[in-house]
Amino acid sequence: MKESMSMRPADQHQAFSREALPELDSVHRFALRLAGDPSRAEDLVQETFLRAWESWEQYEPGTNCRSWLFTICRNLFFKEEETSRRRRALMDRETDLTAGSEPSGPESVLPTRFRRPDEIVFEDSVDDVLLEEIRALPREFSMVVMLSDVEGLTYREVADLLEVPVGTVRSRLSRARARLRETFASHAEARGWAVAV
Amino acid sequence: MNWVRELRRLLKEARGKRTDDPDGLEGGLTCQEAADHLQEWLDSELDEEMAARVGVHLETCARCYPRLAFERAFREAVERAARAEKAPPDLKARVLQALESEGYREE
Repeated sequence: MKESMSMRPADQHQAFSREALPELDSVHRFALRLAGDPSRAEDLVQETFLRAWESWEQYEPGTNCRSWLFTICRNLFFKEEETSRRRRALMDRETDLTAGSEPSGPESVLPTRFRRPDEIVFEDSVDDVLLEEIRALPREFSMVVMLSDVEGLTYREVADLLEVPVGTVRSRLSRARARLRETFASHAEARGWAVAV
Repeated sequence: MNWVRELRRLLKEARGKRTDDPDGLEGGLTCQEAADHLQEWLDSELDEEMAARVGVHLETCARCYPRLAFERAFREAVERAARAEKAPPDLKARVLQALESEGYREE
């Protein structure tokens, strides 16, 4: 495998440099939202690019490389999650523990808590506070905001990537934005903007 | 298409004379109808005809324009905030090293 990949034509190496590697920051943001843990996200980014290079012949040049990389990253993450879940379930059975396994998969909701507007430190810059709010959103909500508002994917692309209906993307996006908008509006009002939300 | 050209002409005209007319139906839409489509319009998820009509309304209606400006500022802030989260500087080197061990050569 290693030998055949090193023997690839030069244009494949160039195409990978041109199309895949510039997406490193985007894949890293995506991995962070998925994994929630910086160290795990970095491992996931490395595995994603290795898998992408292995499968580069399957990528159609000029299509959405970012979306293709996100799909690889997502599949790797949920495969690992599934392996961990099975391992935990096995250990639970072996030790006769009654505690259930943690949720996994695209529908899972990470434990979180929203800050009330009055808890927000108004001296913080709005960007810092918004980033914290994005991080605090349950995973399925932060993912749609990141994919749609930051990475510019269409509703259909987000739906395909997360394996949910387009209507679910719309509703999650609407709810996530409402939460973030509330924070943004608080900051805007504190600075004397007239806000009509 | 003629109606698209016509709407573009109206939009260009209207940009110079934003109206305060409360009964205005800019783009042939009420303010409520335009507000209902604001998010999809900003997300470029409307078909061409509806996008043009909503665009005319939002860009020219004195009541709706502040909402549009706020929403744009909000979206920009979200994007800016999220993009501040960069990959650590050594991650690219680490990824490149792993790729090179699999035969990749950076050109």
